[in-house]
This record gives sequence, structure tokens and C-alpha cells, in this order.
Amino acid sequence: MASSSNESPAVKAQPTRLPNPMQRALQRMGIPAEDFEDKVGPIGVTPKEAIHSCGTLKLHHYKPLADSVYRVPVLIVTSLVNQPYILDLVPGQSMVEFLLRQGYDVYLIEWGRPRLEHKDLTLEDHVLDRLPECVARVQEDSGVRQVSVIGYCVGGLLSAMYAALHAGPKTPLKNLVCIAAPVNGDGLESLKAWMGPDFDEEALIGHFGNVPADWVQNALRALRPFGKLAGAMNLINNADKEEVVRSNLRMGKWETDNIPFPGGVFRQMVRDFLRANKLVKGEWVIGNRRVDLGAIRVPFLHLLAQEDHITPYASSRDLVRLVGSADKQEIIVKGGHVGLVAGRGAELRMWPALDEWLGRRST
Amino acid sequence: MTDTDWNKLNPAAMWRDWIVKSEAQWSETVSAMLKDPRSGGMLNKQIEEARLMQRQFAEMAQIGLATANLPARSDLEALDERMGRLEDGLAQVSAALVQLRNALVGAGTVKHVGVSPPRTRKPPARSVATAKVAAKG
Repeated sequence: MASSSNESPAVKAQPTRLPNPMQRALQRMGIPAEDFEDKVGPIGVTPKEAIHSCGTLKLHHYKPLADSVYRVPVLIVTSLVNQPYILDLVPGQSMVEFLLRQGYDVYLIEWGRPRLEHKDLTLEDHVLDRLPECVARVQEDSGVRQVSVIGYCVGGLLSAMYAALHAGPKTPLKNLVCIAAPVNGDGLESLKAWMGPDFDEEALIGHFGNVPADWVQNALRALRPFGKLAGAMNLINNADKEEVVRSNLRMGKWETDNIPFPGGVFRQMVRDFLRANKLVKGEWVIGNRRVDLGAIRVPFLHLLAQEDHITPYASSRDLVRLVGSADKQEIIVKGGHVGLVAGRGAELRMWPALDEWLGRRST
Repeated sequence: MTDTDWNKLNPAAMWRDWIVKSEAQWSETVSAMLKDPRSGGMLNKQIEEARLMQRQFAEMAQIGLATANLPARSDLEALDERMGRLEDGLAQVSAALVQLRNALVGAGTVKHVGVSPPRTRKPPARSVATAKVAAKG
């Protein structure tokens, strides 16, 4: 996500780069070489400004793109292990831009890259401290008491936990939307087998502090071991199709741009979520409070992808059942975990479905 | 007269296409193996060995790099941490300035350059989603 948020795309200067060795070699042969970075294009450029910053966390407010906006602002909670720019890829292929054009007032939490000093951050810090602080800032900035929260992937899990722990008549939540949120550790079979009783998470945390980004990447890659190879072959076969190449490079850039997992959160995810599967059992205690998803009573929507290998259906299907709202719905759209929020499939299926559901509940 | 798609007749392209089409099956097979707790134990043993080897190699390399008066990975990581702290500090100053501006605008001391749109939007009168979705109540 671009940090220099106040610049418009038109005036945003691209940093000058020296040509790489391959480019130089091609240029010497008289072949004009294009840098892959140029093909990717500027990412995350929808105009915004950070209205709150604490440690690595930034709360962004996007500039509205409609003449009038819905009364209720929207707060997007992104994943802890992936860069948030997947939700604001490039102009015309951005979920954030789509929501702005449909008339939503959009805020987004960027958790940032944890450093060694953040190795002890826990779920308590995120769900009981950082997320509520961001909701309060959105209320203050927008002047509206109620906020709709949209959480993607691990961000969806955090949002559901936040909603459960802040339920009741005084809840600041108007609506809760989770996108591919895992809630059942037993459904993540490969990770559960890998990080079973033999897995020494303490040794890993002790060695690195935070779980390094390349470990996170390898863990995600293990869920679809040959996916990268197939992607590369597909790219070569479509080398003559400019937009396919651009899109593939953008997705590839995002997929390899993971964020380290804060050590404290990783410990809880391995022990309480994967091994003990405490959330679906209603036994997960966060800050001395039991997380009861049944306490959520606000309108709830869970958006899922049919071919999601990162958050398989077995790990996400229980959420709609466990949430206590009378107004709740699960929508399954065609595509994969990333295609759910970005790309042509998202543009055609998920974004309109989200707008259709949320618009009616945002006045 | 029909146009022949020569790319489809390219043996290398056909081979690549076959890999793309077979990928899901291969990944599924390997994933099924990974779901076995025994493979998890084996994987963990290998990871632990790799972690210890990497640690030993890093320590050896650090001595060599220090002798050659070159920075080691740990030095670059320390620099990265420091840069991260500086960036976060700048972001906090920037956010504080935005808050100050908003407070001044709220108090009427300064005029806001951009006007916030009214919060009066209503959903368009449509009942059928444009998306082809499989919805479950």
C-alpha cells in the first residue's frame, strides 16, 4: 500500500531505477526491453490519507468518489500476513475503488510489518486494543456512531472475534462482512498435520521473534504445491496478451510479498486455533473473555470462494451457523481465495454481491 | 477460411498447457500426503535440521564478513528495523497533522479545501443482484 497517500496518481513520481542486467543485455542487442516493474504499474494508488498511526499500524481514510455517500462508514480489516494492496490493486481493478464509486465512505486498517520489538503482540492486542481504537477513530472522523466492518481472510477472523467481544446494545457495529474467514482449525488439514504436536513453535519464535515472511509464504504454498509452476506456465502461454501478463505479474508480486507473523499471535493460532480448535468449540478465551460467536447479532454476510485452497470450505463454513444474527447469509462465488477480492471474477461476481447486500443495510 | 492458432500447435505450449491442466490433480495428491500426521512429523524434523544448519552457516558467514569488513544479514536487518521505526514515526507525525487540520476545520478556524459529500445516499431500487451467485440463506 503506498504510504505517500496524499499524492494523486498523476503527480506521483515513479522512482528512477537503473536497468537490470537482463535489460542492459537486451538493449545492447538492439531489443527494447521493458522492466517488469513498469508492466505491474502503480499499485494501491487510490487517494487516501492516514488519520491514525500507532506503531506499525495505519488507519487510512480514502477520499470519497461519489457525490453522496451512505450514512454508515465501512472499515476494512486486512489480513495480518498479506499486504493490503490486494484490495486496491490498480485503478479499475480495485475493490476499494469500486466501493468508493458505489458511494461508501471507506476506511482501511494496514497492520504493517512487525519488527522484533513487536514479537509479543497477541490477539488480545489486536482484538481488544488496536481494532477497537480504529473503530473509535472512524466514529470520530465520520461523526457516525455505527460502523460496518469488512474483514478479509485472517482479518475476517479478527473481525468476527471483535464483533463477538463487542456485542450487545452498545455495539458500534452496524454490519459485519467476512470474506473467506477461517474459523474451524480442523478444516485446515495440511497445516494442522504440519503444526501438530511435533511442531516446535517456541523454537521458531525463539529463533526469529516473528515468523519470517518466507515461512508464511512456504506454508501458504504448501496448500497448493504446484500452483506457482502452473502460474508460470500459464504466463508463458499468454505472453502475447498484454493484460493477462500485467494481471499475472501484479498477483505474483502480491503473492510473494508476505508480512511476518507476530510471534505472539502465531503461538495462539497454532495452539488455540489449529491444535485445540477452540473457536468453534466456544472455548477460546481472549483477555479473560470467552469468544462466543453466537453473541453477534448484527446483520452478517460471509463471502466465500468455491475453489479456495487457502481457506477451504471446511474451515469457513461454520461461521454462518455459529453467528447469532437473525439476518445472516453466506454467498459462495466462483473462483479462488485471491480471485474472490481481485481480478475479473471479483469484478463480475463478488463486488456486486457485496454492494447489493451492504448498500441496503448502510442507510 | 479459418485462422489457425499456431500457438496451439506448438509442442512446448501444449506441454505447458498440460501442466496447467494437471496442476490441480498433482497439488491435490501432494496435499493429501501432507494431511497425514506422519508426513507432518517428517517435515518438522527436516525443518528443524534446516533451521540449525542455517544458524550455523549464518554464524560462520558473519565471522567471514566481519573479517572482510562487510555487513552481515543481521546488520542489514538491524538497519531495516531502524528504518521501519523512522517510517512509523513519520507516519505518526503525518496522522497527527491530519487530525490537527480536521480539528481546525471543525472549529471553523480554517477552511477545508475539499467538501465532504453528504451522507444521504440511498441504495438503488433494484432487487435482483447483478452477480450470478449461489446464495444460501
